[in-house]
Amino acid sequence: MKVENINPFIESVMETFDSMLNCRVKVGKPAVTKDDEDADDIIGVIGLTGTARGIVAIRLPIKTAVTSIGRLVGVEFKEIDSSIIDGVGEMINIIAGNAKVKFEGQKISLSLPTVVRGNMYKLNNLTGAVFLTLPFSSELGDFDLLVSFKSSDEAVGKKEEAHAGAHR
Amino acid sequence: MQVLIVDDSQIMRKIITGVLKKLNVNEILEAVNGQEAVDMLVGKTDVGLVMMDWNMPTMTGIDAVRKIRANGSKVPIIMCTTEGEKDKVLEALKAGANDYLVKPFNPKDIQAKLEKFLTSVS
Repeated sequence: MKVENINPFIESVMETFDSMLNCRVKVGKPAVTKDDEDADDIIGVIGLTGTARGIVAIRLPIKTAVTSIGRLVGVEFKEIDSSIIDGVGEMINIIAGNAKVKFEGQKISLSLPTVVRGNMYKLNNLTGAVFLTLPFSSELGDFDLLVSFKSSDEAVGKKEEAHAGAHR
Repeated sequence: MQVLIVDDSQIMRKIITGVLKKLNVNEILEAVNGQEAVDMLVGKTDVGLVMMDWNMPTMTGIDAVRKIRANGSKVPIIMCTTEGEKDKVLEALKAGANDYLVKPFNPKDIQAKLEKFLTSVS
């Protein structure tokens, strides 16, 4: 995965949190996501198709999800409810939508977002590709953005099947 | 004067509702897809502004804008969406939308758009 293909997602996370949550976030060192990584989190997943293909996911510890979505709506949530789930889906939709505009010359469409809660999910990446984990920290808590992405120039000459899913 | 928020996301409806209430707009209607919005606006003249999402099930926002204009309504419509590419903006304006707001936005962005239209219709 090319570095220049990651930057739009990092910028999009920063812009989304700054604009909608009035919150500055810092990005840490990217790492390759391990297959067996799991935790008691909420994860919002969205697929990208078109001239570039991939999967983008935001993984929030429950506490971060509750505080972030609470600030987004202006309500103090005590526990996970449908608003939090809906909010995490909307958040990844906005992050991916904002990032795709930054890829000039690419025609990218977004799938409907999916939100999974728990510690028994497993994200499958593009065959032959890897997920990069981008760790973020903020006053609202830490969270990760997971990106598996191939632009058309990376995909030339390769036949790969995208199969994104969250399996319980 | 009523404002109609059209978005399948409950959370987005709440966010926009919160900003509207801060602007003392308390007559707020909600629709969860384009078809519902089209149906709600038939024969209704007291809706002064529509905030329309693009990607929704059943009927998209852009199709809803076309239907609303085909039905003869001149209600101001602001597209409020993640679809920020120039061709999408032009498509929406061509379909009959009056303005465009790209997510992510902050409350001030919504407020500026709302004030523009609420002032023009009041």
